[in-house]
Amino acid sequence: MNAAGTLRRARAGRPGLVVLIALAAGLAALVIVAVGGHPPASQAQQVQQIAAGLHCPICRDLSVADSPAPLAQQMRQEIAQKVRAGEPADQIRAGFVAAYGDSVLMSPPRRGVTGAVYYLPVLVLAAGLLTAFLLLRRWLRPPQPDPPQAGPPQLSAAQRRAVARAVARLREEEPG
Amino acid sequence: MTSRRTRLLAGVVAAVAVIVVLLMTGLGRDPSVFASPLVGRAAPNFTLPQLDGPPVTLARLRGQVVVLNFWASWCTECQVEQAALDQTWQQFQDSGVVVIGVNFQDTADAARSYVRTDRVAYPVVEDAGSKTALAYGLRGVPETFVVNRSGRIVKHVIGPVDAAALASEINSMLATRAQ
Repeated sequence: MNAAGTLRRARAGRPGLVVLIALAAGLAALVIVAVGGHPPASQAQQVQQIAAGLHCPICRDLSVADSPAPLAQQMRQEIAQKVRAGEPADQIRAGFVAAYGDSVLMSPPRRGVTGAVYYLPVLVLAAGLLTAFLLLRRWLRPPQPDPPQAGPPQLSAAQRRAVARAVARLREEEPG
Repeated sequence: MTSRRTRLLAGVVAAVAVIVVLLMTGLGRDPSVFASPLVGRAAPNFTLPQLDGPPVTLARLRGQVVVLNFWASWCTECQVEQAALDQTWQQFQDSGVVVIGVNFQDTADAARSYVRTDRVAYPVVEDAGSKTALAYGLRGVPETFVVNRSGRIVKHVIGPVDAAALASEINSMLATRAQ
């Protein structure tokens, strides 16, 4: 193994090394973005996010963010005012829930009866999987061999003597 | 085998019964009528300017029964209930009861014109920006909240109020000195 051979191997391995470094850099960037999270939302974005999570109280299926109704507009103004005042999003939502009830939320809360909306499908799926597993196990089980046939009942010595006596008596009684 | 079949049948019957009960409960309720979560709770305080007079602060009316009526000049149902509100004001204004009209999504001129034409005698306040309406979870007009002497909301009426029902509610509150 000479120096020229080593150099050739190093040159040949360089593209692979570059790809590895690029992959590592990409992965590192992804990790930084994931750990660092998103850049802080602007106030307008915060208002939009909160309004999108609230149901317009006088509309059929529109959020406060999407509704052109005057009441929805006033709700957006109210949200903007509270965001500017530095009120946390949860507190703003809680204020509307206190006045309008849970129905003002676009997504039902994960508590009480409405919590079933989230948990029931998981429970039903789990029950279905369990049932399917049990049925499959039963169908795929190899057939059990028949239980061994029971032999004639075992007689005690006294019973055998009684049977022998009865047979002898019958023979004596037989005509001819 | 029979017992297994019986158990299966009982399970199916129970499941159907649960679904029927849920449907009966759900279908018996009008989804467009929302019960206010504020009933039984402290009425949100406000200080609002009167159309023609000094500002009104709800907290200062503690100790009196307050009938808070959200209305607008463009609302036809508000005109329907106007006589009932006038009657309530005439009947109870000397008994520690205050009727307040809260003008909702309206112009001051239109509201003034309505008040003048209909000779509304009780105080009427402006709710610019609907801040108070939003605090009361208003969905439209007319809506009326009855606040007891302790400042708690005891009644919420969606749509036109009925004079006799309102009088009965107020009389029962006045009869209870503890309130």
